[in-house]
Amino acid sequence: MSAWSYYISTLAVYFGIDVLSGISLNLQYGYAGVVNLAFIIFQSVGAYVAAATALGPDTGAGAFQHYIFAASLPFPLPLVLATLAGGALAGVVGLFSLRRMRRDYQGAIMLIVSLIALQVVTADVSLFNGSNGLTGVPKPLSFLPVGPLAYQWVYAGWVFVFCVAVYLLVRWLSRSPWGRALKAMRDQEEAAGAIGLNITVLRLQVFVVGGLIAGLSGGLLVEYIGAWSPGAWGYAETFVIFTAIFVGGLGNYRGVVLGVLLVPVVFLQVTQFLPQIGYPGLMDSLEWVVIGLLFMFCLLVRPRGILPERKPEATEGNAFPFATPGLLPYLRRRLGRPLA
Amino acid sequence: MLDTLASAVAFGVVLASVIAIAAMGFTIQFGLTNVLNLSYGGIMTIGGFAAYLVTSHGLSAWYGLAVGAVAGAIVTLVVGRGIFAVYARRGARVFEMMMVTLGLGLVIDYGLQALSRNNIYEFTVLQSAPISLGPIILTPTEVIIIGIGLALFAGLEALLRLTKIGKALRAMAADPALARACGIRTRQIVVLTWLLSGALCGLAGVVYIINSQSVGYTTGELFLPLVIAAAILGGAGSPAGAVLASLLMGIVTQVVAAYGGSLYSTAAGFGVLVIVLLSRPSAVLTKQANEELTLA
Repeated sequence: MSAWSYYISTLAVYFGIDVLSGISLNLQYGYAGVVNLAFIIFQSVGAYVAAATALGPDTGAGAFQHYIFAASLPFPLPLVLATLAGGALAGVVGLFSLRRMRRDYQGAIMLIVSLIALQVVTADVSLFNGSNGLTGVPKPLSFLPVGPLAYQWVYAGWVFVFCVAVYLLVRWLSRSPWGRALKAMRDQEEAAGAIGLNITVLRLQVFVVGGLIAGLSGGLLVEYIGAWSPGAWGYAETFVIFTAIFVGGLGNYRGVVLGVLLVPVVFLQVTQFLPQIGYPGLMDSLEWVVIGLLFMFCLLVRPRGILPERKPEATEGNAFPFATPGLLPYLRRRLGRPLA
Repeated sequence: MLDTLASAVAFGVVLASVIAIAAMGFTIQFGLTNVLNLSYGGIMTIGGFAAYLVTSHGLSAWYGLAVGAVAGAIVTLVVGRGIFAVYARRGARVFEMMMVTLGLGLVIDYGLQALSRNNIYEFTVLQSAPISLGPIILTPTEVIIIGIGLALFAGLEALLRLTKIGKALRAMAADPALARACGIRTRQIVVLTWLLSGALCGLAGVVYIINSQSVGYTTGELFLPLVIAAAILGGAGSPAGAVLASLLMGIVTQVVAAYGGSLYSTAAGFGVLVIVLLSRPSAVLTKQANEELTLA
């Protein structure tokens, strides 16, 4: 029984982290039309920074891994730094790659950026220990007096706190005037520019916000699994999240949650229970083949996803849940709306 | 000092020849159909594996080249007509099409991983004594690679500049609607584009594995960014631009490697792209207005 509990809690943590990733990509592509095929490097920089700042200095005879930023920082700080690192890297990358160009060019350039980063980090051992990666990252919540199994669930809860917070924040952002400006930019870039929106700044802003979320997700992930290496961040990882948000529904946060539940969690985990066929490793290859096919199939039969983006409705006041005009008027509006 | 530079430049030219063959195919395909095909690397690998199968049955590498080209052409035509055209008819825009090609690339790459049992196969042809020209030492194979690159470039330029088909290709790349109005059979031109670019892609795969002497499922995927960078740098639809850009990237990569930066050599090649993007953004802005997919 406890093996199942352990397994389910692990899935819960991955689910939470993939939700954060999906929210980040959905804000950037689903809302703003900014193509970020380099998503995984922002997650990775968060993971590396969280790992390196939490680990102690690597000096001494027994040092088996090399990295920069060694600091042994206490609990919440590595995560904060990871988030900031994601945002900072996004700012730097965004400065040169977000010029006005065709979206497919932009996607290809992001993909190239992601491959450059992968090669540099793999080749240069002094940065983050090269292809072996960092390991032995201390568990952040280890001060809690709980057993290993309970720790799993506590960590899952910790991740969900961030999920809910980020979800509410991003939903508020995307319903704010800023979010509407993003949609305007996505749908009619020239018109949006003509009414006075600064396209360059908007793109950079949304890129940095997405980068912050990506860095946070990387930090949370590395503090859970305790290790990070270049093997964990090929372009295929970004593609899985893209598949999830396309399947669930672009520009719709419920769709994102659904897509993340379906694609990386259910879809990739269910295959673990299928009987192994062929030689070891064949199933892993076929899994990626099926992910590719799934994306192509989804785009063909349901190009707007399972839960498509809803048409904007006139909302009164601020949509942030803590500032709604009141529960009763809200419910009345909800219930009184005719079934479409 | 100067010797190091000379031999680095020579190696750069060899690498550039490999990049250029692939980039010429890529740029024609991209320029004509507007599909930024990220499965191109996977199709290169298919060409490489086809050549590997042929030569492992005792045939010479020249047959390998021919078979690789045919395999690349057929696969490209099949995916172009059977997959990309379907999405184009359904109204996919350039970005969605790129994501489709990325998904297809995943299917091809990991399909090959499954078929090749995740092994890397040795591919050695033409082992003979190196030729030295002053400080430059190249193997005969490397000289042949440069020769193949030059021959393909000359052939492609001749096809584009001197023949009627080439004229039709260029017209279609410039303005598909106008080309059709002038009575050019655009359907056939698109088929021809898939075949031509696919053949170059397959050839590039074979030449790449001849140069690197091994083939595995990631062969094309790892090489593709250099190819795309060269094609973007050279301007979509311009084989001559692609060749120049390949030379620049190949030489920069090898010179950086020769002067101690081997860790960063490939990154330096991409650095060129980034610098050009910053300093001359018009290089990638030329086709801003034209976001129509032209392949039906």
